[in-house]
Amino acid sequence: MSQVAPRVGIVLVSHSARLAEGAADLASQVSGGTVRVLAAGGTGDGGLGTSAEKIAEAVAGAEAGAGVLVLPDLGSAVLTVRAMLEDQSGGRVVLADAPFVEGAVAATVTAAAGADLKAVARAAEEAWHARKL
Amino acid sequence: MPASSETITLSGDLHARPAGALAVAAARFAAAVSVTAGAKTADAKSVLGVMGLGATSGQEVTVAADGPDAEEAVAALIAILSAATRVGG
Repeated sequence: MSQVAPRVGIVLVSHSARLAEGAADLASQVSGGTVRVLAAGGTGDGGLGTSAEKIAEAVAGAEAGAGVLVLPDLGSAVLTVRAMLEDQSGGRVVLADAPFVEGAVAATVTAAAGADLKAVARAAEEAWHARKL
Repeated sequence: MPASSETITLSGDLHARPAGALAVAAARFAAAVSVTAGAKTADAKSVLGVMGLGATSGQEVTVAADGPDAEEAVAALIAILSAATRVGG
């Protein structure tokens, strides 16, 4: 293969802009920087919360042609993501039920290896079973 | 199916970045690949599993593979472990 196939993109949705950016930085560095990992954290005016506009922007930026996996940090971010995804169609954007940091790292590394959207989502969700100790 | 394995003594701790590099590389192979450090064994294709090994400098780590490209997989992963644990991360 001389041409690198597009990678699945990752969007990290957090109530905190700094948390989303930090997790995106970590996932990106661990995976070698070949995947688009975008942070969508905080509200439009810089407060704690989630912004449909920021999420939509990040999803558009993360799409490289292989779909996008969205990971929310806490349950209530799911509401914003769901509302935003209602406008999407075709299964190009998938919402993952996964621990935020571990899911982000596992998904990004799996995307870096060239896996498809389904496999990247599975890697994120399998992160529930990873023990630290 | 051919099986292959090799053991290396780590020259640095197996931190997040080398674990990521290992998992990305392991995924290229059809063979099932495992990494063993002490009493723990992880699927080399699982970055969280590899990080969970907590492998440290001076520890012996074994890469084992089973499948059509087992030998290549072991060689590639040993090379990454050898290079990546030198810089940490």
